[in-house]
Amino acid sequence: MNTAPGVYQGAADVIAALMLLLEFGMLRQALVRDQVRLYAAQSALISVLAIVIAADRSLPDLYALAGLSGALKVVAVPLVLRRLLGRPASEEAPGVAGSHTLSPATAVLASIGLAAFGFFCFGALHLHSPEAPALALAIAGAMVFVSFGLMIVRRDVASQAIGFFSLENAISLAALVVAAGLPLILETAFLFDLLVAVVVFAMLMRAHHTRAESLSTADLTRLRG
Amino acid sequence: MRGRAVSAAVPIPVIQLLQVLTVALCAPGLTGVIAKVEARLQGRRGPRVLQPYYDLAKLCRKESLAPEGASWFFLAAPLVAVAAYLTIPLLIPVLTTYGLPLGYMGDILGGGFLLSLASFVVAVAALETGSPYAQLGSSRAKTFSAITEPVVLFVVFTVALLTGTDLPYALAATVRSSAGEVIRPAHLLASAALFMVILHETGRIPVETHTGTSEFGMIEEARSFEHSGPYLALLKWGGQLKQLILFTILADVFLAPWGLASTQRLGAVLLAIVALLAKATVIGVVVAVIDDSFAKLRLFKITEYASAAFLLAVLGVFTLYLGGG
Repeated sequence: MNTAPGVYQGAADVIAALMLLLEFGMLRQALVRDQVRLYAAQSALISVLAIVIAADRSLPDLYALAGLSGALKVVAVPLVLRRLLGRPASEEAPGVAGSHTLSPATAVLASIGLAAFGFFCFGALHLHSPEAPALALAIAGAMVFVSFGLMIVRRDVASQAIGFFSLENAISLAALVVAAGLPLILETAFLFDLLVAVVVFAMLMRAHHTRAESLSTADLTRLRG
Repeated sequence: MRGRAVSAAVPIPVIQLLQVLTVALCAPGLTGVIAKVEARLQGRRGPRVLQPYYDLAKLCRKESLAPEGASWFFLAAPLVAVAAYLTIPLLIPVLTTYGLPLGYMGDILGGGFLLSLASFVVAVAALETGSPYAQLGSSRAKTFSAITEPVVLFVVFTVALLTGTDLPYALAATVRSSAGEVIRPAHLLASAALFMVILHETGRIPVETHTGTSEFGMIEEARSFEHSGPYLALLKWGGQLKQLILFTILADVFLAPWGLASTQRLGAVLLAIVALLAKATVIGVVVAVIDDSFAKLRLFKITEYASAAFLLAVLGVFTLYLGGG
């Protein structure tokens, strides 16, 4: 029999679980537009989680971080992605719809396996400290694996970029639950790392789209010999 | 005088009987309410709330025919199914927080077995008829219930991990015990998975259009094609009973086990009946809203729906494995 965690801890765990579910949503979603929407929702949850932890442990810094992270990941990054994919995505998204290598149901089942691996890896660490909640950390671990899975099973640049960005969300989740008291300047620095990734992926997507006239990476095999 | 009547104790066997009677008598009404809400949401006037009762009464007055070559099983199946459905309210908390004497005849798995038995006999009866649509329906119903079965099992595992037992009364008591129990991810994930299974089991959108007339999209609805008269009435009533029973399990065991009678007082028991109907109606309204806002899934997409429900249930167990969840 398991005893329940407190309300705050439970709320934090539920938010982490919802983030993992959204990751699965991105995995099975066929359209980039919807994936970007789910990414924005996932990022919004990170901000909510920061607020919950700030209220629970009375860390006012985290309110600022929640605002900053929300502005960046909920508004700016999805906006940039939409602008960037604006033309290709509206023109029936060449190469994106139907870029699944597995059928959605199989992909979900395979990713449940990946998530289980992530869960049990972190479970094997036997962390039992009030400062590092084992469950939220394990969910972050599972999210890392599932976002890798997303990048593997989808054969288009846009989904892979979104997989990468949500990987960053997973790392943020882990950082938030393990080291909530990290100085704000460091947290902000991590956030700006994301900006670099966005710029790099933007350039990659642009370059790939102009060369292959498609966002699908299946065409890249033509480069071989 | 009235105060004394309300505080009078109701004998336990009567409460046990009331559990069955509440479900038996109110099930068609709930279907009527859902149909009404659905119609209003679509801008139609909709049938009367009492329409399902009139339908059942009308069917009971009609003659019943059996296809040539069908054995006694064809006519016995609706009776067995209804008997199974009427036994389940004895096992689950319908009106009381405390277990009634017959409540420990079976655990959650016992209730699950009875639900499966009812669905199995109806499927076999449909196969007996030789009618292609009834057979198609029973074959599909069994295929998809095999896919959703693991979800139900994982929900049961979650209950077992949460309470250390597999008694529905124990989970309801655990959920009532603190706010932390309500908000923990395992509980919420298992409840969401169960809700998805209930949508599937009651033949609702996104799995099946229960009001549709196109045989090719039918799953559960097609099975009763060859029954007529009182037997069809029993099958229809059975479907309504199943719906209210599943809603009761979701409300009184998982989502909102509040408002149940904790004593034998008449007032508390009556209040529990009202609370149960109110909770079932709220779930019914949610189901009606879902019915009106989504499209039916293509038949081969139902596996995706089942895999989503499976994901929720498995994650529920995972979160508990690490403790705390």
